[in-house]
Amino acid sequence: MPTVHFFDTPHEIYWGLLIALYFYYTGMSAGSFILTSLGTVFGIEKYKKVSKVGVLMAIVLLAFAPLHLLFDLAQPGRFYNLFLHVSLTSAMSWGVYLLILYPVDLMIYAWYLFRQDFVQGLNKGGFKAGLYSFLLFGKKDMSAAALANDKKKAKLFGTLGVPLALLVHGYTGFILGNVQARAIWHTPLMPIIFLMSAMVSGTGLFIIVMMLVEKFKFGRIGEDIRALIADIANLMKWFIVVDGALMIIYFIVLWYSSETGYAAGYFLLHQEGWSFLGLENGLGMLAPFLILLSKKARQSLPLVTLASILTIIGVLAMRINLVIGGQKIPLTGSKIIEYAVSGRDLSIGLGIGILALVVLTWLYSVLPMNRPGAQEKESIPVSKGVAQ
Amino acid sequence: MGKRYAMVIDLRKCVGCHACQVACKSENNVPLGVNRSWVEELETGKFPNVSRHRLPRLCNHCENPSCLNVCPVKATYQLEDGTVLVDYDRCIGCKYCIAACPYDARFINPERNTAEKCTYCHERVEAGMQPACVNTCITGARVFGDRNDPNSEVFKLLATQSVAVSKPETNNRPQTYYIGADEKALRPNLLEIVGGEK
Repeated sequence: MPTVHFFDTPHEIYWGLLIALYFYYTGMSAGSFILTSLGTVFGIEKYKKVSKVGVLMAIVLLAFAPLHLLFDLAQPGRFYNLFLHVSLTSAMSWGVYLLILYPVDLMIYAWYLFRQDFVQGLNKGGFKAGLYSFLLFGKKDMSAAALANDKKKAKLFGTLGVPLALLVHGYTGFILGNVQARAIWHTPLMPIIFLMSAMVSGTGLFIIVMMLVEKFKFGRIGEDIRALIADIANLMKWFIVVDGALMIIYFIVLWYSSETGYAAGYFLLHQEGWSFLGLENGLGMLAPFLILLSKKARQSLPLVTLASILTIIGVLAMRINLVIGGQKIPLTGSKIIEYAVSGRDLSIGLGIGILALVVLTWLYSVLPMNRPGAQEKESIPVSKGVAQ
Repeated sequence: MGKRYAMVIDLRKCVGCHACQVACKSENNVPLGVNRSWVEELETGKFPNVSRHRLPRLCNHCENPSCLNVCPVKATYQLEDGTVLVDYDRCIGCKYCIAACPYDARFINPERNTAEKCTYCHERVEAGMQPACVNTCITGARVFGDRNDPNSEVFKLLATQSVAVSKPETNNRPQTYYIGADEKALRPNLLEIVGGEK
């Protein structure tokens, strides 16, 4: 039946780029932490080499993630209301406590990982020694019992960190999944899809960060790390398989659900096709999967780097497609709601990204990144003039 | 049973004058670009077989409001009489309620920077008056009152007329009842909107 809507009220998309970026950051934090906890928590020896790199990355990503939310609030000055009023029916309220517990647990875990190296680093003198001495809070005991205690506590807080990481990112899946008004969001798979894509992008970013840390802290990417990267790349391949399978299941059921669900599926395939099929699933999932299928490619640093970059882009596209795409389909009226990112949001997103990068780089440069198999060189060229 | 406010809109009487929309803006100082209540209008068919449909929309003051459940600070609350209100001093503007409402009833007030929506003109109702949109309706299409009071006009209409609500499947249990609503007006024709139907 031909129908013409000739009077309608315009509506806008309220959750934009910043919300998608928030989901993206918490995801990569949880993903990189879970991956690097394989050593300390699950006792897989070779992963102990990277637990420090991973935990710093997880802490920094998680520390900067909520800034996106803060800047997205229409009343940012009232954010403290989130702590004063608990609302058990709101997934957003669950997140408030997870966003505190998770980084605090990670910092305690990191402290036990780093303590021994802080003590050893005290003789370096200068700024670093001062920093280590402060961070030690006087706990300089290097007896065998104390070191064993470090290990035990690291395992305890690392083990606590795993469910917290699952929750801190899983809850964001509930934020969208609990909204019955929007077919694209309203699926019980949403928290699991979020977690799996977080494992993919967290692993992707972690591989790149680890290579940079190795290169700049130890001068070269050693054979042991190359072998580990090939292992992690293999894991990433399987994460992509699970994530891809979940996306396919999600899409098939969406296609056969209500009229709203079918229309949403149609929308993803057509209007959003270049982004959903091309960027998110083609370039971001299928391409890295095909690269990582080959054992030779997994042993090649440039190819693994390429696959990692593709997954990072793909998962960003996925967050944007879900968060913003989910709101493009109108609830009333007769038109697709268009979204254009505002200059303000874009600058804030870039600003937070750059700041997070600077802080992470600084932490890696001043903290002792000694690991099984590699000790920091005695004099590291530091451009900031903090070396003695 | 206690008082439960609801609205019945008799679309057979609605002429599409938009007076309700204007009265609402004026009564509640609603800024330009956003609306607490509005009227959708559409035309179906091909000359000479055509018809015109209108659908005045407002907050449905649902029995089980999605907006209330998702609010992380309990700024949205519901009175005993069913009216769903926003505490403007508590709202942090996270916009979760806006994303969750299936009816597009909410928006951020660009002057107050909090979530906002129709309040059934709460201060007027408290003072014994009708909401502004009902008061101004030139044909008496909008009827507001206590759904549980057998002497109220709303009760009588609900008891004697065929009524429909928008999106009953969402479990929001909306309390705006339409008489004579066309199915095409109650929900967007999504398949056509996304280009899947010519």
